[in-house]
Amino acid sequence: MSSSLKGKGSAKRSIAAAVACAALFFPALAAGQAPAPPSGLTARDHSWDNGTRIDLQWTASADEATLRGYVVRRRSTVETNFSVVDIVPAGTNALTVGSLNREAGHLFRVTALGANSLESTPAATTAPVFPTMEWFDGTRVWFLFTLVLLCGSVVAFIVLARRGMPLTLRRIAGLEAVDDAVGRATEMGRPCLFIPGINDMNEIQTIAGLTILSRVAKTAAEYDAKLEVPTSKSLVMTAARETMQTAFLTAGRPEAYNPDSVYYVTDEQFGYVAYVQGLMVREKPAACFYMGSFFAESLILAETGNAIGAIQIAGTAQPAQLPFFVAACDYTLIGEEFFAASAYLSGEPDQLGSLKGQDVGKLLVGAGILLGVLGATAAALTGSAFIESLVNFFTGTMLT
Amino acid sequence: MTPADPTNIRVILATDCGSTTTKAILIELVDGVYRQTHRGEAPTTVEAPFADVTLGVINAVTEVQELAGRRLVSGEGRILRPATATEGCDIYISTSSAGGGLQMMVAGVVREMTAESAKRAALGAGAIVMDVIASNDRRRPHEQIQRIRELRPDIMLISGGVDGGTTTHVVQIAELIAPAKPKPRFGSEYTLPIVYAGNRDAAPLVRNVIKEGFALTVVDNLRPVLERENLGPARDAIHDLFLEHVMAHAPGYDKLMMWTDAPIVPTPAAVGDILQTIASRQGINVVGVDIGGATTDVFSVFDSTFNRTVSANLGMSYSIANVCAEAGMANVLRWVPFDMDERELRNRVKNKMIRPTTIPQTLEALVFEQAVAREALRLAYAQHKEFATTLRGVQQQRTVGDTFSQDASGRTIVDSMKLGLLVASGGVLSHAPRMHQTAMMLVDAFEPEGFTTLAKDSIFMMPHLGVLAQVHPQASLEVFDRDCLIHLGACIAPRGAGKAGRPCFRFSIRTGDREESGEMLYGDLRLVPLGERETAIVIIDPERGFDCGGGPGKRVEREVRGGTVGMILDARGRPLVVPTARDASREMVERWGAALGLYPELAPLLTRHS
Repeated sequence: MSSSLKGKGSAKRSIAAAVACAALFFPALAAGQAPAPPSGLTARDHSWDNGTRIDLQWTASADEATLRGYVVRRRSTVETNFSVVDIVPAGTNALTVGSLNREAGHLFRVTALGANSLESTPAATTAPVFPTMEWFDGTRVWFLFTLVLLCGSVVAFIVLARRGMPLTLRRIAGLEAVDDAVGRATEMGRPCLFIPGINDMNEIQTIAGLTILSRVAKTAAEYDAKLEVPTSKSLVMTAARETMQTAFLTAGRPEAYNPDSVYYVTDEQFGYVAYVQGLMVREKPAACFYMGSFFAESLILAETGNAIGAIQIAGTAQPAQLPFFVAACDYTLIGEEFFAASAYLSGEPDQLGSLKGQDVGKLLVGAGILLGVLGATAAALTGSAFIESLVNFFTGTMLT
Repeated sequence: MTPADPTNIRVILATDCGSTTTKAILIELVDGVYRQTHRGEAPTTVEAPFADVTLGVINAVTEVQELAGRRLVSGEGRILRPATATEGCDIYISTSSAGGGLQMMVAGVVREMTAESAKRAALGAGAIVMDVIASNDRRRPHEQIQRIRELRPDIMLISGGVDGGTTTHVVQIAELIAPAKPKPRFGSEYTLPIVYAGNRDAAPLVRNVIKEGFALTVVDNLRPVLERENLGPARDAIHDLFLEHVMAHAPGYDKLMMWTDAPIVPTPAAVGDILQTIASRQGINVVGVDIGGATTDVFSVFDSTFNRTVSANLGMSYSIANVCAEAGMANVLRWVPFDMDERELRNRVKNKMIRPTTIPQTLEALVFEQAVAREALRLAYAQHKEFATTLRGVQQQRTVGDTFSQDASGRTIVDSMKLGLLVASGGVLSHAPRMHQTAMMLVDAFEPEGFTTLAKDSIFMMPHLGVLAQVHPQASLEVFDRDCLIHLGACIAPRGAGKAGRPCFRFSIRTGDREESGEMLYGDLRLVPLGERETAIVIIDPERGFDCGGGPGKRVEREVRGGTVGMILDARGRPLVVPTARDASREMVERWGAALGLYPELAPLLTRHS
């Protein structure tokens, strides 16, 4: 609708210019009779909208054949003068007026605009009309459809998973290797090191990192291996302690949990890095986990870990740091894999179903992009109006 | 036990003392080539009332003596040596699996790392591994101690920690074993032998813990670093202890050990030795299988790495019910080309279990037994693939190119495409009425890909040859090639999947006097005759998506050796998909059976059933 309004706006400007030119160059025409007015103007609230539109309808002027168009004017109950809303071409007898204030009533007038630029007497609404907001905006029906599809697929997969349908996830080598890494540390009699990134708990990557810490800590408890977690934020330390305590409890070894193995170092990025690097060189951990949000320190840490012969598993959603981790670490969880870890590791039906449902959404988005690109390309190459109208419908209606 | 000079050896006597039967074979130098000439067998006499294994040995050798017309046993009941023109042998060797073979318990720190290496060492030494104790086996210490007490192993193997690694965990394991005081199977005065092959720094600590009541032997760490296994010293120590402790306390073995010219070896270890020798001499990868009544042993040598697994509950008599339960009756029946009443089948299975020595009396029973064998072999091979893996806990080297293809450690090293020779032994395979049936059971169960030679061990001679390989490798290889293996033929099967009836590959076969070419459609099976001593040059042009060893869609040219069955062109795709729906599978299996002539007598039966 908004695009049609924009189109009519430009038509209005063209007609106004035409009228002005006609009056300037053909003064004889301006001196003629005004056309017969339109009649029966009605104004109704536009249904299924957000309370900003009113639909106008009128009966055409008796001089319809010679008209240039109709001029639509509006004023609210708090205004004194009518202002032009639009000038629509002859043959039109309806208009939806948008961008209205729903707090006020609105009065409308429509006049016929003759070829000689004279306007007829107006057809007017007698009582102010108030635009009202419905519970659903009809222009958002495609949005609703997409939403239902995506949420529905999430819910459907959760239900199916709960009923015991096996949902298989692609094997994520980095998460499978957690046992190997902790096992290596156990056999070598060295500790494991877990770095939850350098951001605070408001960062989603830190939370995802702590989810993986839970698994690492449980494995370390089972293997009776030492796990050390230096943090650069005090809140992360507290959360990591809670996570580890729960993990040791789950593993059936609550007595092995040592709160001092999770500690705060410093908020300073490179101060923290210097400490961790020193720790790695001194203690030579056999397994290093980097799970969270990393910046310049990623390569410093990963290279140090590589030099001391540790198995290293990294996970981050920072695209700029991924190449460093991939090159220096044994396994790297990339973006989505990192966030899917929770579902992958727990195997809980709710989480697995949710992950599968989100996959459906990604599939739809991918298909939409592909179709849009192919359609636009085909329209440009063939010049087909039909394909172009489909593309316009897709981009202008379905995706708005 | 001083072996004769290999150049002067002309007559070799070998025995294998099994649980029920003692088998003897005679190998002689005939026309400059070693050949197995005669064989005999007699019941094993290790149990009461005889309680002397040598009685069974003498009985079996006496049978050989009568058949060969060569005196081998003296009036005092001793093996005559050295050989003369008419009597005696130059060397005498023996293997043994009597009394349930060598039974071991192993322990390590991490189940998937040192404990698995220990298991590999024990299995490679020919043992049956009764249980694996590890720090992360999710059992509480009291449960672990209880388990150690319940089992009565012949030998225990402790590993754990790399050199310079953990000592705490290793000592913890020793502290479980010491108070458990496991009792050995044989002899009340016998001290349980324990092999320690773990972190060398922990050895003195382990000595402190394991003192009285045990015979502790410390050898080199079997996993000195996580990147490498060193199983040799542990295996040798197991063999020595097997002779010194286990065999010395088994009835009659002290005498037998004095007779033999090479140490007595556990039967599976000897089979492993000969397969490793063959793989190394011919530069190929080998898989061997021995399907018995209670267990199925699978041996493999891939890229010089030897692995052996014992599937304890997969067998054709005592364990047949377990095969049916584990595989599911639907999976067994998919190999049967006619309808069978499931209730009757269950009765048949139970009968076989309680009367393990019975053999099929009807064609229907034979087809069913071979269907069970397919599933038993398939399951055993799947277990073997899971066990034969790359080492875990190893650091990986990456480049940015590995971003989306990060291989994990612990991958199976068994690659059916690289398999060169598949050797079958065990009753159901060796004694199948037609060689074609043996070949087809192997192909259906193991799903070899590319070019694979199929063979069977004629009279389960591999154990004898395994020991012989230690004393006289040349004799061992000559007999292996000429008399031990019956070459069934070759299987040519591309990897990939397609649609039934669509082209799978084109073939061209050139032998001395003929040339044949054609096209195989997906789902088809064809037998091309190629005699036992014949070879052919085969060119395979797979369709896109199919790989016969050269890569998808790439031409492959190989020389193929024939056999008693011939050359099997298998266009059924890999992995092989046989539906469990009766109608679909019946038609498929019937067609494949007809193509290979598996059961020629079955046609009237099928007509009757239809």
